[in-house]
Amino acid sequence: MSYFFQIVVSGIVVGSIYALAALGLVLVYKSSRVANFAHGQIIAAGAFITFFLTVRLGVPIFFSFLASMLITFFLAMSVERIFLRRLIGEPIISVIMVTIGLASIFDGLIYLTPFGSENFSFPTFLPTESIVVGGVSISWTQLVGVIITFVLIGCFSWFFKKSTVGISMRAVSDDQFGAMSVGISVPRVFALAWATAGLSAAAAGCIIGNITGLNFETLHAFGIVVFPVVILGGLDSILGAVVAGIIMGLIQQFASGYLDGNFGLNGTGDVMPYIILLIILLFKPHGLFGIHEIERV
Amino acid sequence: MSQNRWLATGNFFTSYKQEQRTFFTHLDRTIFTCFLVILFGWPLVFEISNKYMLVLDNILIAIVAVMGLNLLLGFAGLISIGHAAFVGIGAYTVASVCQVIGENHVIVTHFWPVLIVVAGIMGAIFGAFVGLPALRLKHLYLAIATLSFQMIFEWFIQFMSFFNQGQTIYVGRAHWFTGQVGRNDHYLFWYYIILTIVVVLGFGVRNLLKTKYGRCLVAVRDNDRAADAMGMNPGLTKVYAFALAGFFAGVAGALHAYLYRGVGFDSFTLHHSVAYLAMAIVGGLGTLNGIFWGPVAIKYLDLQVEQFSELAGHYLTYAPNVATALKPLSFGLVIVLFLMYEPRGIANWWRIAKSYTKLWPFRY
Repeated sequence: MSYFFQIVVSGIVVGSIYALAALGLVLVYKSSRVANFAHGQIIAAGAFITFFLTVRLGVPIFFSFLASMLITFFLAMSVERIFLRRLIGEPIISVIMVTIGLASIFDGLIYLTPFGSENFSFPTFLPTESIVVGGVSISWTQLVGVIITFVLIGCFSWFFKKSTVGISMRAVSDDQFGAMSVGISVPRVFALAWATAGLSAAAAGCIIGNITGLNFETLHAFGIVVFPVVILGGLDSILGAVVAGIIMGLIQQFASGYLDGNFGLNGTGDVMPYIILLIILLFKPHGLFGIHEIERV
Repeated sequence: MSQNRWLATGNFFTSYKQEQRTFFTHLDRTIFTCFLVILFGWPLVFEISNKYMLVLDNILIAIVAVMGLNLLLGFAGLISIGHAAFVGIGAYTVASVCQVIGENHVIVTHFWPVLIVVAGIMGAIFGAFVGLPALRLKHLYLAIATLSFQMIFEWFIQFMSFFNQGQTIYVGRAHWFTGQVGRNDHYLFWYYIILTIVVVLGFGVRNLLKTKYGRCLVAVRDNDRAADAMGMNPGLTKVYAFALAGFFAGVAGALHAYLYRGVGFDSFTLHHSVAYLAMAIVGGLGTLNGIFWGPVAIKYLDLQVEQFSELAGHYLTYAPNVATALKPLSFGLVIVLFLMYEPRGIANWWRIAKSYTKLWPFRY
């Protein structure tokens, strides 16, 4: 039975990180209807900036965590300003393709640095022994990661529900024309949405880097695996991203915990999200909390 | 009214029959014939080393694959981020035949045209299956469906011991009427075969777009609700577009398997899907000659990047594998710059040149 609860715990740890990573994707999609395929690269960039600041420049990890969030804030904002603002109103194919192209560019840039090919790990700053409660163990890094994730998600939800900027972002996602007519600057909201997405990506990157170690391949794979998460939750729902992130984490951990090794299966945790994605797309395409769009000619 | 059969200065069609002609003017026909003569005669006149022959073959295979992708993306307006997986389906169809009956079985070596067609049909079946969400969904959701197919394909190939866990599966040498194709003639032989296939399929696509089914694709791309109101079935049309794209990709995959005499998982990753997309976009979406310019441009760029990074590798001391860095970088830049500044691709330059010479030397 403790095996079961162990899987539940690690599923929640993985799932909360998925939720944080998916949050950035949902933010961008909600306000500007752009699916950002370069999200994984921004996550990786955030993690590597933190690592660089902490290890190479000797900044305390807490400050480098904040600094990397600030840097990716402006990085994502400038990406929006330089590349995506020109494409407002273009067909959706062009927009998706530009983000795929951007992912490719970031890939190339990161491969040019030593971070592209080698493995690194953050210096340990938390106790290394695990906490064991009733046979279920969780490491300090995981626990702190989950706590930070939930605090951040709480902050983001507050930001959207209560703050003026957040309300204007929701207004833009609801009706761009109406938002414009009450004096909201739509391009500014797009830029802010990208910037907040970059910020959350950096946070996700740091937490993943602390838990699993820094490897470019695993980090940018997160940019792809969040797509099943956001589709399950509904592309434009923040609550959906959180719930679906945790569901997906649990599914993944249960698959690799119970299916791998039995029936001659292997690596099912990696493929399960995509199989679920295909099933959702066939039967409930707008996800758990997504809004069903009504189209008119 | 007597017509100038060499130069058409405008659209003077008086019947649908006229509009359905393959070549509108003698000039078109002449240019096309010259191209064909050059492409077929080139290797006979000049000695081309096997290395560059392989590059040419690769370009032609990419053309076959991009033909399908351009039909899907340019003409039907559906995004596929899993095209390399469909190419992989074609290649692994050949590979699984080799696994079952042996790589040098007579079916593999003598009846390769049949196997290529079978691979195409397998690609079409998988394409239609992946396109099934298209019955209800569009745009982004479809793109993500194809993405998930790509991931599932990669996992499946790496997991199945039947497919050698992604390691190379060998495919026997093809036979021609003159006997087994030798080591030195291998690339030249496949150059001619693939070129012939490209020409046949190219005519096929051109004619398809003039039929009911081709026009259906364009109508659904432009506005699927309106197409629905006019009595077409948008969902079925999308599934059928996916099947078509899958067919072309499957053929390309089978050709890839025969050309390299082996199938490995490395050639069908997400990275390759992005490369196919880059080719389709750089060539020009929704154009016929873009199908040919795109792969040529991207593969040429690839070659240049490879040479450049070899050069740069000599000068850089710390040398983080420059080629792996510069390839995605140049890909991404090409995609983004083309989408921002020339969304209609290289084919647009061709169109501009053509419309400039149309009325030359009289401007109006």
